[in-house]
Amino acid sequence: MTAVAHSPTPAAEPVATGLLPEPAARQLIDPAGRLSAGPGALPPPGVLRELHRRMVLGRRFDAQATALTKQGRLAVYPSSRGQDACQVGAVLALREQDWLFPTYRDSVAIMSRGVDPVEVLCLLRGEWHCGYDPYQYRVAPQCTPLATNTLHAVGLAHAARLRGEDTVALVLVGDGATSEGDTHEALNFAAVWKAPVVFLVQNNGYAISVPLAKQTAAPTLAHKGVGYGMPGLLIDGNDAAGVYATVTEAIGRAGRGEGPTLIEALTYRIEAHTNADDATRYRERDEVAAWLARDPLARLETYLRGEGLLDDAGAARLRDEAEAFAASVRERMNADPASDPAEMFAHVYAAPTAQLVEQRGDLLAEIRGHGDDEHA
Amino acid sequence: MAMTSTLDRAAAAPGTAPAPVTMAAALNAALADTLAEDERVLVFGEDVGTLGGVFRITDGLAARFGDRRVFDTPLAEAGIVGTAIGMAMNGMVPVVEMQFDAFAYPAFEQITSHLAKLHNRTRGRVELPIVVRIPYGGGIGGVEHHCDSSEVYYTHTPGLRVVTPARPADAYRLLRQAIACPDPVIFLEPKRRYWSKDSAELTTSGPGIDQAEIVRPGRDVTIIAYGGTVDTAVEAAQAAAEEGWDAEVIDLRSLSPVDDAALVRSVRRTGRAVVVHEAAGFCGYGAEIAARITERCFHYLQAPVLRVTGFDIPYPPPMVERHHLPTADRILDALARLQWDDDPDVRWLGPDGDEHA
Amino acid sequence: MPDFLLPDLGEGLEEAEVLSWRVQVGDQVAVDQIVVEVETAKAAVEVPVPFAGTVSALHAPAGATVSVGQPLISVDRPDEGSGNVLVGYGTAALSSPSGSRRRRGGRGGERNGSGPVPVVSPLVRRMARQAGLDLSTVTGTGPAGIVLRGDVDRALQARGERQAPAAETLPVARNAEPARPFATEPPAAGSPAAGSPAVGSRVPLRGARKAMADKLTRSRREIPEATVWVDADATDLVAARAALNARNPQRPVGLLALLARFTVLALRSYPELNAHLEGDEIVIPDHVHLGFAAQTERGLVVPVVRDAHRLSTRDLSAALAERTDAARAGRLTPAELTGGTVTVNNYGVFGVDGSAAIINHPEVAIVGFGRIIDRPWVIDGQVVVRKITELTLSFDHRVCDGGTAGGFLRYLADCVERPVTALGDL
Repeated sequence: MTAVAHSPTPAAEPVATGLLPEPAARQLIDPAGRLSAGPGALPPPGVLRELHRRMVLGRRFDAQATALTKQGRLAVYPSSRGQDACQVGAVLALREQDWLFPTYRDSVAIMSRGVDPVEVLCLLRGEWHCGYDPYQYRVAPQCTPLATNTLHAVGLAHAARLRGEDTVALVLVGDGATSEGDTHEALNFAAVWKAPVVFLVQNNGYAISVPLAKQTAAPTLAHKGVGYGMPGLLIDGNDAAGVYATVTEAIGRAGRGEGPTLIEALTYRIEAHTNADDATRYRERDEVAAWLARDPLARLETYLRGEGLLDDAGAARLRDEAEAFAASVRERMNADPASDPAEMFAHVYAAPTAQLVEQRGDLLAEIRGHGDDEHA
Repeated sequence: MAMTSTLDRAAAAPGTAPAPVTMAAALNAALADTLAEDERVLVFGEDVGTLGGVFRITDGLAARFGDRRVFDTPLAEAGIVGTAIGMAMNGMVPVVEMQFDAFAYPAFEQITSHLAKLHNRTRGRVELPIVVRIPYGGGIGGVEHHCDSSEVYYTHTPGLRVVTPARPADAYRLLRQAIACPDPVIFLEPKRRYWSKDSAELTTSGPGIDQAEIVRPGRDVTIIAYGGTVDTAVEAAQAAAEEGWDAEVIDLRSLSPVDDAALVRSVRRTGRAVVVHEAAGFCGYGAEIAARITERCFHYLQAPVLRVTGFDIPYPPPMVERHHLPTADRILDALARLQWDDDPDVRWLGPDGDEHA
Repeated sequence: MPDFLLPDLGEGLEEAEVLSWRVQVGDQVAVDQIVVEVETAKAAVEVPVPFAGTVSALHAPAGATVSVGQPLISVDRPDEGSGNVLVGYGTAALSSPSGSRRRRGGRGGERNGSGPVPVVSPLVRRMARQAGLDLSTVTGTGPAGIVLRGDVDRALQARGERQAPAAETLPVARNAEPARPFATEPPAAGSPAAGSPAVGSRVPLRGARKAMADKLTRSRREIPEATVWVDADATDLVAARAALNARNPQRPVGLLALLARFTVLALRSYPELNAHLEGDEIVIPDHVHLGFAAQTERGLVVPVVRDAHRLSTRDLSAALAERTDAARAGRLTPAELTGGTVTVNNYGVFGVDGSAAIINHPEVAIVGFGRIIDRPWVIDGQVVVRKITELTLSFDHRVCDGGTAGGFLRYLADCVERPVTALGDL
């Protein structure tokens, strides 16, 4: 047993500057679609084209889901329009053995990981609390109580390390969620345990209507990393290439056993919080317009066209693919799902208790009784 | 398959019972035996590693199994339970400790929103075989926040199992059963009984994880208790025998799910029931038992189901705690009110003989 | 021609106001095309139409408020598809059946205007209900007028209930004894009783047995009784009986009848033993209603022969026989089981000589005789074999002292020993 000495006069350590973010947000491709001067290598062309394609599909999906909500097919849909670079860029950086821990806003990210879109929408449709098998895709269920899944990501990653497996957990967090106690605890545990976790904060400036200035007094959210002994990186969250490159780098660090990374991605939520929200009450139209000018799809498309990696025909094919995809989602979502009330009792425990079996019986009898009445 | 502890107890003379073991030692043995048998089991929490736990329940485990299996965490209860959930999602079997009942509250969201619900949320694909050990209850002269009885917060949460041993041998059995169970289990340890001893063999054979146990059979009345109050109930039953009442004492063991069948069998035989718990009476566990017994045994009841509980107050300071905790005498007073010899309980009747609330 | 119904646009919203239409009737619309802007409590929302086709109707003008679930717009579709009617979540309820509420056929409880009668336990309430006893006619003697089990028992007895329903087992009173000796095998492992020691069988005390038990308990509790006994030479009595029966075999006289007749005679001289106590008064009636113990399947009963003082010995014997048959057949009414003024017992049928009997409250005396067997007796200084019986009298010492009791018993003994001397009092 080693004694950990607690000295009354610790030697003064220089602030671990390697942990602080650089003053300027890292960027590989600027809003005009030109190469930036930022550090890090640009991903190869194949990756860039795939990033673009996924963002096109993701945005079309997002628009379709928004429409479906206004048509009453989804109970609610929190849009990620404008955050496409984070949704796609971060997830494409994951290796097959890695895990994604999303929130309720990250439908496009979940879909980009390969989950069937109808399964993604199962929660928001009101059919069941999670529509996909987490183990099939290595995607945790969409987390509604914000920040609470950061701890799950840390635990899962730590378990992998205990077993000697190379698995990295990527957890998506909003700017508001960084105020929650669970985020603090997760960052702390991850750093103390050197857990292979990447914390990606999608800072879109608002927690529903509460602006960042009311959320934190820290110079940036990335600065919080040093408090835990973890590197904090600040990046342009609308630069898909930059997001991809940075997350890849963080995954590499984690995979090599060098511990967790905190990444703050500056981005914007173009739509309101959900369909039930009125964003004009707390945001200026000018602000929205300014961010529209930094649109992640537009800039990447401009870059690709400039490099000859995308032409009109290619763009048209992508549009058609997106339309067909949206139509198939729409069609499948228009069908009423079959809900089985007995299922309410099926998964409370590994096996239903005697009391649950009794209650299920009561409910089924009640339902049958209604049925009899309607034929009476 | 029943398993017996490899605990190294002082060798007893042949033909005699094994040497007595405290509940703390029995729990320690359960953890040790499980750690030895199942690679996936991890034991962690605050001070459980080097120190061996503030109640020494995890004494010696870190030294024996190494700090990869038994380790100390930062001081963060939500973090302990939340990371345990992640570890269980990735195939481990975490057995975590909350240092005291009231200090588990920061983890309450993780316990109720995720531990209890992830299996259901994912239609059964995610299993969380996690045990959250929580020392609870008073009677140790502890200051504020060290004596709460928080059981109903957990029993009222579907998806959690809640169990509580009353005596050392059953502590061994129940903890091993809890760890082996695929469901998340809140394991409430009555800290006032940590140092009580018994000579029974430490084995997993015996009542199952969801079964109550009759610790003293009787014919006239059923006394229902759990955790720290079982010994009090037995003491009361022994005194009751001198007054002519043959009391049956049931140790519930599992608070959720509850062993309805055992309760019904007993009360339909005796026709009278008293529930005993430390926690406040209002909205306490006894209220649920009273309601269930009334519904299921109404036609056999000779008297209302009575509850002997703590008062509806925040747990009091050590100097007055003894007035708050249920005692054998208070149980006997309740027994006397059970309408023997056609003599109605007048507790709720006014002086003029009118009913009053 | 599907209608697009207004969905719930914001997690529980109930209505929306139409702000402006973006299309008009006759326009072609595409899937997801914005057709209208509405204002909800939370926000202004542009609403896309879920199907393509020609607008055939706009169901609310600008400025009108539409409830969730009401039609917004109708569109003629080129291919009449599924006719899906889209309804939003939240307040436009999907699930409740449109049929009427299920009939349950309630009958209502006991309806006396003042609400339920307080009863000591649901068990007792059920007893009353099963016996058809209206609780409002029962006087509750418990605190606050609570109807006690004893109250129901008495009411049922007075009404002539002999048996309690057999449906479920009622719990045994604390001091009851099991009717059978302990079982010799332990209960099966795994059975509910496996954890308890063997307790044999349980026989509930109910009905007549319970009533008798209560009465006996009361007797013992209230009456300060004493017992006197004497052995008597019944040789001549036995001979007298034989002579009587030879004379008229159709109308036999039993030993009990003879004892009963002598008792009635003796009570003329010792009327206190036929009395009962009312408060502080000894009430001496001018009749003798003779009770006698009869053993039946249901246990001990004490039928009463009324006005036994008016019956001849033969009539009395016939009455005793008839009462005994009726008791065994369960035909006796409560009136025939109560109202006695004295009780006689034949212990001989049990093969014993006597007992310190329990007086049949509210009587004050109980007379008994035992076996008549050959025993050594002394006559004129010689030991001879005679038919000897023991006579016992238990009496309530409040109404008389040893002199009276002894006198009474001596009189009886004299009748037994020299039946002819009874002639003087007939």
